[in-house]
Parts: sequence; structure tokens; C-alpha cells
Amino acid sequence: MTAGTGQLQQTLWAVDMAVGVFLLLSLAIRKSYRAFPAFSLYIVVNLVSGASAFFLYRAWGYSSPSSLRIAWGMQAVVMFARALAVTEVCKHALARYRGVWALAWRALLSCAGIILVYSSLAAKRQWEHLLPNADRGLELSISAALVTLLAFARYYEVKVNSTDRALATGFCLYSCFVALNNTILEHYLYKYVALWNVLRMLAFLASLLLWTRALRRPQAEAAPEETLLPAGVYQTIGPQINFRLRSLNEQLGQFWKTEATRN
Amino acid sequence: MNLALLLFSGIVAALLLLLVWALRGPRKPAGIAADACSFEETGQRHVTYLPQIRQALAKADYEFLAKRAPGEVQQRVRRERKGVALAYLAAVRRDFQSLLRMARVIAVLSPEVAAVQEFERLRLTAKFAWQFETIRWKLLVGFAPIPQLAGLSDLVSGLSVRIEAAMNELGERAAAAAELASSLNRRGLDVV
Repeated sequence: MTAGTGQLQQTLWAVDMAVGVFLLLSLAIRKSYRAFPAFSLYIVVNLVSGASAFFLYRAWGYSSPSSLRIAWGMQAVVMFARALAVTEVCKHALARYRGVWALAWRALLSCAGIILVYSSLAAKRQWEHLLPNADRGLELSISAALVTLLAFARYYEVKVNSTDRALATGFCLYSCFVALNNTILEHYLYKYVALWNVLRMLAFLASLLLWTRALRRPQAEAAPEETLLPAGVYQTIGPQINFRLRSLNEQLGQFWKTEATRN
Repeated sequence: MNLALLLFSGIVAALLLLLVWALRGPRKPAGIAADACSFEETGQRHVTYLPQIRQALAKADYEFLAKRAPGEVQQRVRRERKGVALAYLAAVRRDFQSLLRMARVIAVLSPEVAAVQEFERLRLTAKFAWQFETIRWKLLVGFAPIPQLAGLSDLVSGLSVRIEAAMNELGERAAAAAELASSLNRRGLDVV
């Protein structure tokens, strides 16, 4: 690592920490932690992890096996906190629509699971790549879950409030970037490691700024409950609509066949 | 560039594209009241003009013109007929989308949703979109048999009327239940 890159890394680390502290204070002052407890916990865990990493590397250096092991261990804790925060965002966005939420969380888990399995299968089978591969798989699953959430909201025309959208976008962009960054790291391993850190911190800074902007106003603790229809309405009308849509498609199919024979 | 890099870059690119699409947000927020109004219009909007559309697309008219009118007039009529057919097809799609929206609103506001039905609807929507585009392109290049479009309209309109009746019935039931509850309250009786 060159002295310039090291300096840049330390500066970025300080900026990330400062913005993180600002966001945490903003969550505390506006009492938004009540609406987003898991997200607030994630920010705390991130700050603690960042500070620990700084002292760890200062004491043992970047290339020491002990600091590497502890750093990846902390990364696992951060990842767990992020998964909780993402779950919270998903629940915020859709949980008040009970029926759709029951369907959505299964779809989100399935998408995340498929991506995780696929990433594990596609990854290189080497010990030195194990942790970045696992990290990449988890990041991609988080992105897939969030994209599925937003796609669900769009499909069902459910209005997701701007804060939830911004939080989801921040998590998704950061996860996508880290996944891509880890893939490049895997390919150019040692030549790329310093730049990898810088880019990761930059991506995190971008997400932090997006979240800070989204949380600049106090957040309501819980969204108002939707008034739901009686259970029988869906059971009565849903199959009728599907039946008619199927008939309509068959009719269109016939149209196509008629054409094919005519031509 | 190795395969893993290409593969994962592809996944990330796909996720980002989907994110952009999903972030564009719904066209209108879900709301049963707003949809109930548009639903009343659904099916009736183009059915009102169905006889005129049938007249405009009648084969006899076209044959008559083919015998008597000059080529230029025939061409203009063909162009206009195509325009009418395309507009009609677009109206059918609007009705289809209205019904779908209604189905989605019902799903969103229901305490329980059947995954099988939802996936079936998604599949049917994709199939409709594909077939619709095929027919539209055939119409644009001048191959599709125009009068057959009328059948589609009948089907969608029939569904609209039936679902509207079902919704009215549900509304009446809800009103009756509310009336019963309020009359019990007036008499000081406990509904539970």
C-alpha cells in the first residue's frame, strides 16, 4: 500500500465515522430510533466496528493474521445487524398489508436464498477467498431481497414512504457495490486490496449521506393500520378474475392460431 | 476477464436495473375508492361505441369500397380502419389493466392472499402482454383479421359487469351490517 492510499483511507475512515455519528445523533435527537430500532442498532454496531478496526490495525498492522481474523469477525456482526435493519425496512414497507406481506416475506427469503446458494456455487473453492465469497453472497442476497420488496410494492401499487425507499436504496446500492468490489478483489487480490478498502468506504459514505438526508425529519413510530376487507371478498372475486383472465388469454391465443393458419 | 467477474457483474447489473424499475413507483397509490370509480367505467367505455366500431370494421364496407372507390381512397380507409382497430385494442388492454388493478387492490386489502392465485395472475398478465404485442404488431403490418377483436371486448366487459355486481353486493351487505349495528346500539344492546 502506498503512503498516499493509506492517508486517503484514514481520511475516508474519519469522514465515514463523522457522518455515522451525525446520523446516530440525528436518530437520537429526533427520536427516530423508535421507528427504526434495528437500523439505529446497525449504525451503532458499524461505528463500534469502525473504531475497533482502527485501533486494531494501529496496534497490529493491516497484514497481521490476528487483526484480519478479528476484522472479519466484526464484519460478520455488522452483517447480522444489517440483515436485521433490512428486515425492519421490509416490514415497515409492507407489513401493514397482512395478506401481501405473508406472500412477500416468503418471496424475499426465497430470492435471497437462491442468490446465496448460487453465489456459493459460483465462487472459487479456495480458503483465501472464503470470507470475501461469503460476504459477497450475503450482500447479493440483501440486494435481491430489497429489489424484490420494491418490485412487490410496485406490482401491487403500494406506496412505500420516502424514508423506507431511501433506506432500502442505500442498503441495496451499497450491497451491490460491495458484491462487485469483492469479485474484483478475488480476481486481482493483492494489487487491489487498498483500492478495495477505499472504494468500499466511499460506497458506504454515499449510503450514509442518503440515509442522513432521508432521516432529517422525525419518523412516526408505526404506520397507520390499513382497513382490510372481509376475508371472503378475495376468495370470492379472486378466482373469478383469474378465470376471466385465463379465458381472455385463450381467446387471444385463438386469435393467434387463426392468424397462423391464414398466413 | 474471468467468468466469475462476468457472472457477478451481470447479477449486479440485473439487480440495479430492477432497482431502477422498482423505484419508479406505482403509477397511482392503491385505493379502493379511486378504483371503484374507474371500475364502473371499465367495460362500458368502449362497449358504448361497440356498434360503431363494428360498423367501421365491417368487411362488407371494405368490399364495397374496393369495388367502387379509387386506390387512394381505399388506402386511406385501410389506414383509418387500422387506426380504429389499434385504438380498440388499446381500449381492451386498458380494461384488462383496470381489472388487474382491481384484483391487486383486493389482494392488498385482504387479510389472506393465495400465492397460487397471485402467481397465476402474474403468469396470465405476462401471457396477455406477449399476445397483445404480437397482435398489435400484426395489425401494424396489416395481417390481423380486424373483426375478431370484438370478441375480446365482450369477454372483458362481461367480467367488469359481474365484478361490479359482486362489489355492489358486498357494499350492500356492509351497509346492512352497519345499519344493524347502529340500530342495536340505539337500543342499548351489545352487538357482541
